[in-house]
Amino acid sequence: MALAESGRRVLVVSTDPAHSLGDALGCRLGPRPRPVPVRRGTLRAVELDADAALARWLGQRRDALATIALRGTYLDREDVERFLSLSLPGTDELIGLLELARLARASPLDEVVVDTAPTGHTLRLLQMPETLRQIASVLDDMQAKHRFLSRSLGGRYRADSADALIAEIEQESSEILALLRDAERTTFSWVMLPEALSLEESRDALAGLQRSGIGVGEIVVNRVTPAPPGPCALCEGRRRSEARILAETARALGPLPMRVVAARDEEPEGVGSLRTFARALVGPPGRPRPAPSAGSARKRVPAVATRRSPRALAEPWWLSDLMPPSRRLLVFGGKGGVGKTTAAVTAALALAEGSGGRVLVLSADPAHSLGDALSVRLGDDERAVPGASARLRARELDADRALAAARARYRGAVDQLFDALRGSSNLDPAFDRAVMQDLIALAPPGIDELFALAAVTEALTQQGNSRAPSTVVLDTAPTGHALRLLALPDAAREWIQALLSVLLKYRQVVGLGQLAQELVDMSKQLRALEELLRDPARTAFVAVARPADLPRRETARLLDELDAMGIPVAGLLVNAITPPGCARCRRAAAREEKHVRALARRFLTRAGRPMILAPMTAPEPRGVRALRDWGRTWRRFDPAGRP
Amino acid sequence: MVILIDSLIVGGVRFVLDKVVQAVDKELSDDTVLREELLAAQMRRELGEITEGEFARTEADLLARIRDIRERNRAPAPPPGEMRIAGVEATFTGEEHEESAGEAHESEGADHRRRR
Repeated sequence: MALAESGRRVLVVSTDPAHSLGDALGCRLGPRPRPVPVRRGTLRAVELDADAALARWLGQRRDALATIALRGTYLDREDVERFLSLSLPGTDELIGLLELARLARASPLDEVVVDTAPTGHTLRLLQMPETLRQIASVLDDMQAKHRFLSRSLGGRYRADSADALIAEIEQESSEILALLRDAERTTFSWVMLPEALSLEESRDALAGLQRSGIGVGEIVVNRVTPAPPGPCALCEGRRRSEARILAETARALGPLPMRVVAARDEEPEGVGSLRTFARALVGPPGRPRPAPSAGSARKRVPAVATRRSPRALAEPWWLSDLMPPSRRLLVFGGKGGVGKTTAAVTAALALAEGSGGRVLVLSADPAHSLGDALSVRLGDDERAVPGASARLRARELDADRALAAARARYRGAVDQLFDALRGSSNLDPAFDRAVMQDLIALAPPGIDELFALAAVTEALTQQGNSRAPSTVVLDTAPTGHALRLLALPDAAREWIQALLSVLLKYRQVVGLGQLAQELVDMSKQLRALEELLRDPARTAFVAVARPADLPRRETARLLDELDAMGIPVAGLLVNAITPPGCARCRRAAAREEKHVRALARRFLTRAGRPMILAPMTAPEPRGVRALRDWGRTWRRFDPAGRP
Repeated sequence: MVILIDSLIVGGVRFVLDKVVQAVDKELSDDTVLREELLAAQMRRELGEITEGEFARTEADLLARIRDIRERNRAPAPPPGEMRIAGVEATFTGEEHEESAGEAHESEGADHRRRR
């Protein structure tokens, strides 16, 4: 908005599947650019619809794609059509950059501002030029045999629409990559909160961006607590903890300019209040302000009463609500930065200390925070957590590693297959071999969801393993991708069924073998998982929100989507409720109460599922003991009383 | 990706169709044929082409026949090094097939026999 009002033509695009851009601008947006009223310049805004964009992209290229597949594989038209009509798990990332480029070209613009999905999936989005290049390479391999045959039959080869498509995809890939890496044309503003988990995530992400050759122009630290109007233990505690984070940020993210934006009483919403907000965002960024003197009061602020909680203490009240004995899977989800991970791991700790069986807390967000929340190093294996119950294991899923392992498995199998086929003959099916090898090198979009699903299934279906968890607590990526994960079993089963049909069709030629057996097993597991996800006795979703406008709206949409998918919701946790403090804290608490009541009107329509209020603390709870204490301060929202 | 790979494995293999058939023929025992039938039935169940009941009947029948073959294979423990005996067994089970060749699922098994 500020760019537009400096006299430029600006397009602002949201690529997050859970859009908040329209909420922030205070207007309804869609997949076509809509004008936003500004004083100078022009501003148009778009919320991408990845499925529709992919359908359009495929629609225009379907014939060429089908031609390539028919030439380069042994599938017939019916098979090819069937595969082309299936949905893809990672659509948002795959098509996001292409659609962005298309919109940017469609009209004369000076600037395109992109509002991305939360960290993990934005990094995936930025890997897409490479994926596109790989797709072009596979298509080219398929086409190579046709070119060779044409040449050997008819002499000269004339390129056709199939070659044009391959060239187009290749060119898009290299143009987008060049644009992303060109610091003159592209700049990345990294937005974070002055919180420990946010800093850790930023550190990892900026290293990832650097590896991809994408430059970050500045760091924006948002919602920094201003000085309180009077003495206030909470505000001062937060300022101390934030000052430490700011200093650490300056040290860790080094030479990058840093812009510190003060928290506002009310979240900016609509063009008017965004204009005021913009003043904090334009102009030269500064260095972080000096930390308020740590001085005398260095003790942890007792926003949470820090009484020691011996293990013998009764289990927290909410545990039996969220975790009846039949429950096998508890999924935590919500908007980025609301405290999903902290809440999920608190629940997992309490559960493991309860009377149930083994508990696995699994993070499926490619930008993991689980280890940071627990203050331990975690990895892709299930690890014990020092200080927690021995029944607890924690794991941060590494989809890249899982993919590499799968790839290695397939690569060996393919080489073996082709060597076996070649036998004593010196005729090598070189074209087919090349197609297979390039296909294996292709990193498919949506791998985080695919492997998360596999990990959950694997954890819950281990039989005869005494160490197998009886319950999985799943910490998901923010809203849009959590929903994508939950929708994946259906999509994956369609793919498997298409493959089973093809295998049955050609079984006289190739036999069924190990592949068919694996597909049958996967199909059965997916069926079981679909049933599990929709069974309120065994599965429940816990939505996590903050008592503010944008998170409240996103939560309402999340709850609608979960209802539509038939996924049971066991609870709503509203995090970071301001406890009594200074006059400003009291004003904040009053505003929060409105949001809490609005959420309650939406959520408490069904009996038997609690709405939980969790207090803001300074600093945020980290480590087993702090999390355990924090979990004991969660309160049940009582519609009749004060929230 | 898995999907594409798999569909292309199908393609790649078909490219050398004859070689595959020869190789498969050489290594197949009739037990393998029955196992493939069982797998095919599982696939049809996953695709919803046959009901649970139909699957259960097919499965029971196939498992009984696999057990038969196994028992027969185990009984006359062949002296080591006598490779010819394997050939005799194959002929045996081939005949067993002829008896029940009326079933629809058996067509592929019958194909293999004819080639042999």
